[in-house]
Amino acid sequence: MTTRLLGAAAVAMLLLLPLAGRPYTTTLVLPAFGYGIALLGLNLLFGYTGLLSFGHALFLALGAYTTAVLTTRAGVRHLELLIPAAAVVAAAVAVPVGLLCVRYVKIYFGMLTLAFGMLFYSFLYKFYTLTGGDEGLRVLRPFLMGRSLDQMDAVAFLTGPYYFYALALLAAAVLLMWRIVASPFGLALRSIRENPVKAEALGVDVRRYRFVAFVLAAVFGGVGGVLLVIPTGLADPQLSYWTHSGNLVFMLLLGGFDSFLGPVAGAFVFILLQDAVMSVTPYWRFVFGAILAVVVVFVPRGLLGLLAPPPRALV
Amino acid sequence: MAAGLQLVFGVQRILNLACGSFYALGAYAGVSAVQWALRLGLPRPLFLLALLAAGVALAALGPLIERLLRTIYDRDESFQLLLTFALVLMLEDVIRFVWGTAPQQLGNVYLAYGQLRVGALTVPTYNLVVIACAAGIALGMGYLLTRTRFGRIVVATAENREMAAAMGIDMSGVYARVFTLGVALGTVGGALVIPATAAMNEMGIEVIVEAFAVVVIGGLGSMRGAFVGALVVGVLKAVAIATWPEGEMLVIYVIVIAVLVLRPAGLFARATA
Amino acid sequence: MSLLEAVDVRKFYGDYCALDGVTLTIEPGQFVSIIGPNGAGKTTLVNVLTGLTAPTSGSVRFKGGDVAGAGVARLARLGIARSFQLVSIFPALTVGETLAVAVLTRLRRTARMLDRLRGDARLRAAVAEAAELFGLAGKLGRPARTLPQGDKKLLDVASAFALRPEIIVMDEPTSGVSTADKTAIMEVLVGAARRVGVKAIVQVEHDMDIVFGYSDRIVALHQGRILADGPPDAIRADAHVVATVVGRRA
Repeated sequence: MTTRLLGAAAVAMLLLLPLAGRPYTTTLVLPAFGYGIALLGLNLLFGYTGLLSFGHALFLALGAYTTAVLTTRAGVRHLELLIPAAAVVAAAVAVPVGLLCVRYVKIYFGMLTLAFGMLFYSFLYKFYTLTGGDEGLRVLRPFLMGRSLDQMDAVAFLTGPYYFYALALLAAAVLLMWRIVASPFGLALRSIRENPVKAEALGVDVRRYRFVAFVLAAVFGGVGGVLLVIPTGLADPQLSYWTHSGNLVFMLLLGGFDSFLGPVAGAFVFILLQDAVMSVTPYWRFVFGAILAVVVVFVPRGLLGLLAPPPRALV
Repeated sequence: MAAGLQLVFGVQRILNLACGSFYALGAYAGVSAVQWALRLGLPRPLFLLALLAAGVALAALGPLIERLLRTIYDRDESFQLLLTFALVLMLEDVIRFVWGTAPQQLGNVYLAYGQLRVGALTVPTYNLVVIACAAGIALGMGYLLTRTRFGRIVVATAENREMAAAMGIDMSGVYARVFTLGVALGTVGGALVIPATAAMNEMGIEVIVEAFAVVVIGGLGSMRGAFVGALVVGVLKAVAIATWPEGEMLVIYVIVIAVLVLRPAGLFARATA
Repeated sequence: MSLLEAVDVRKFYGDYCALDGVTLTIEPGQFVSIIGPNGAGKTTLVNVLTGLTAPTSGSVRFKGGDVAGAGVARLARLGIARSFQLVSIFPALTVGETLAVAVLTRLRRTARMLDRLRGDARLRAAVAEAAELFGLAGKLGRPARTLPQGDKKLLDVASAFALRPEIIVMDEPTSGVSTADKTAIMEVLVGAARRVGVKAIVQVEHDMDIVFGYSDRIVALHQGRILADGPPDAIRADAHVVATVVGRRA
C-alpha cells in the first residue's frame, strides 16, 4: 500500500514539476526519462535474467546516432518515426551481438558486451565523415505529433511539450515492461536467473530466452537513447564509452534491481544526486564511487529495496 | 600491468576494473616522485629508481582495497565488478584532486640515457630500459610463481580454491598478498612508462580497455598469455597505425571479440575436457 | 513401439570411454533402475537419454524419432523429464511459480510475453493440482529457499512431474534423504506417476532396498557396458552381477 502511495506521489510530482518547479529542475530531470526507459531494459537482463551487461551504453548510443543521422542527414524529423527507427536499429545490432554474447554468462558476458560497446565507440570516434568523430553529430529538434516546434524557445520546448511527451513515453515503457515481466516469458527469465540447469530441465530454452531478453533490452536502450540526446541536441561517442555503461549499472543498483520500478527510480536519483553533488564539489566521481561502494556492500537491493518488500508472487 | 590483472583474476576470479586506475596512479606518482627527487639533487640518470620507488610505495594501497573487496567475496561476481568500478570513479577524482586536470609530463628526462640508433630508427634508450624492466618483471614473476613456496601456493589456489583451503592454506592471507602484488604490478607499470608519455586524467579508464584486450587475447589468468597478448596488441597497434590509422583500436576490439567468441579461455589456454 | 531407445551408444570424453556400446530399450509400463559402481557410466547414460549430452556414436530415439543430443529443454517439451541428483530448485521463486514454469511448458505458453500470469484460472488449477500430488498444496506462496530440505526435494521432483512427461528419468531421487524418508518419497513418487499418467520411470539408484523393492527391471552397468539387464529376481540370481555391482547387501 505504501509503495502505491509513493508511486502515485512520484507520478503527481513529475506531472506538476514543469508547472510548479523552476525550468532548471525540469530540464535537469529530462535525461532521467531516457535513462529510465533504457534501465527498464537493462534490468530485464540483469534483475530478471541474471546477465550483467557492461556495454549497454552501446544501444543508447545507437538510438542517439540514429536520431542524429535521421534528423540532420535524412530530414526525418517526426519523433513518432525516430523512435521506431531507433528501436529497429538497436534490434538489428542486438541480433548478431546477442547471438554471440548469450553463449556466455557472468564475467565473460560482461566482458563481451564491454568489448562490443568499445568497438562501437572506436567506430564512432574514427569514422569521422559518417559520425562526426569526437565532435559528435548534431540532433535537430524533432516534430512532435506531426507539428514542427522549431519556433519555440528551447527552454519552453523542453519544459513544455517535450517534457510531457517523454513522460508519456516513459509511462508507456513502464506499462509494457510490466506486462512482459508479469508474463509467462518473464517467469521463464526469472527461472533462468535462479537456476539455468533446472530451467532447461523444465523445458525453458535458456539460450533462446536469454537472447530474446537481450534484444528486448537493446530496443529499450535504443529508445532511451533517442530521448537522451534530444535535450542536449548532440550525439557524441562518449555515449558508447564503457564508463557510461558502468553508470547505467550504477543507476540500476542505486534504485534496486529486484523491484520493478527500482531502475527508473535509480535514474532519477542518480541525475538529481549528481546535480546536487556537483554543485558542492567538482569531485563528484569520488563521492559517487563511495556511494556505489556503500550500495554494493551494504544495500545490494538498492534504495527501493529498503522501502519496499520483495515483489509479490505472480502465481 | 596486464600481468597484475591476470594474477588477480587467475587467483581470485575477480575482474578488477580498477587496475587501469592503479596504472594511472602509478604514472602520476612517478611524475611527482621524479620531480621531487630531481629537486633534491638526485642525479638525472638515477630517476628510474624514483619511478620504481613510487610504484612500489603505492602498492601499499593494495591491502586496504583488498579488505574492502573481501566483504563481498561470497557474493555474485557481478557485484565485485561493480565495486571495482566504484574504485575507478573514486581514484579518477583522487588523481584530479591531487594533480589537477592538466596533463603531467616529465619533459625529456628520459633522454638522460641518450638515444640509440637501430638501423634507420632513433630510439631513446629509455624505451629499451622499459622493455628490459618488463622482461625483468616477467622473469621475476615466473620465478616467484614456480620456484617459491608462496608462488606454488598461489598457483594451487588458482587451480583449486577448495583444495588449497582444505590443505590448511590461509586463503585471506594469500588473497591479500596476491591482490597487493597485482596492484604493485599496475602502479610500477604506470610509473615506468610515464617518462615516455604524459600522465592524463583519462589514461586510467583508457588503459583498462587495452589491458583488458591484452588479457583476453592472452587468456584470463594465464601469465604467459599476458605477455603474448601484450605483444599481439602492441604489434597490431603499430601495424594498424602505420597502415590504417582509423582502424587502430577497431582492429583490437575485433580481435578481442573474436577471441572471446572462439576461444573464451584465451588463445593459448590449455584445452580443458 | 518402444518409448525410449538407445542403440549402441558410445560416449568418449577425450580418451576416456564413459559408455561403450550401450543398447537399451524402455517400454511403456516399466520401472527401470540403473545400478552400478561409481564411474560405471550411470550419470552419462542418464545425460545421453535426456538429451543433455550427445553420444559420440549411436542413436537415441524417443517414440521412434531421433533425439540424440537434442537438448534437455526440447526433450522436456516432448515428454522426457529429468530430475537431478542434488536438489535443484529456483531459490527465490515460490513453490507455485516453480510449478508454473513446468505447467507453462506443458501448455506451450512459456514464450508469451503479454499474457498475465496472475488471475489465470487454468494455470492456477494446474499448479494446485501438481502441488497437491506431492503434499505441497499449503505451501504455494513460499519461496523455495525457505522450505525444509525434504520439501525442496519434493518440489524438485514435483516440478518434473508437472510437465506431465511420458517418461521420467531421475538421477538418484532419494539421495540426501534419510533412510526413513526414502520409502515415503518413493511411495509418493510412484503414486504420482500413476495419477499423472507417466508411462515409464528410469532411475539411477544406489540403495538396493529401493532398487529391488520398486523396479520391475534392473540394468547393471559396469565400465560403460551393460553387465546384466532383467527382472529383479534374475539379477539377484546372477552371482557375477551380485559380486561386481550389487554388493553384499543383496
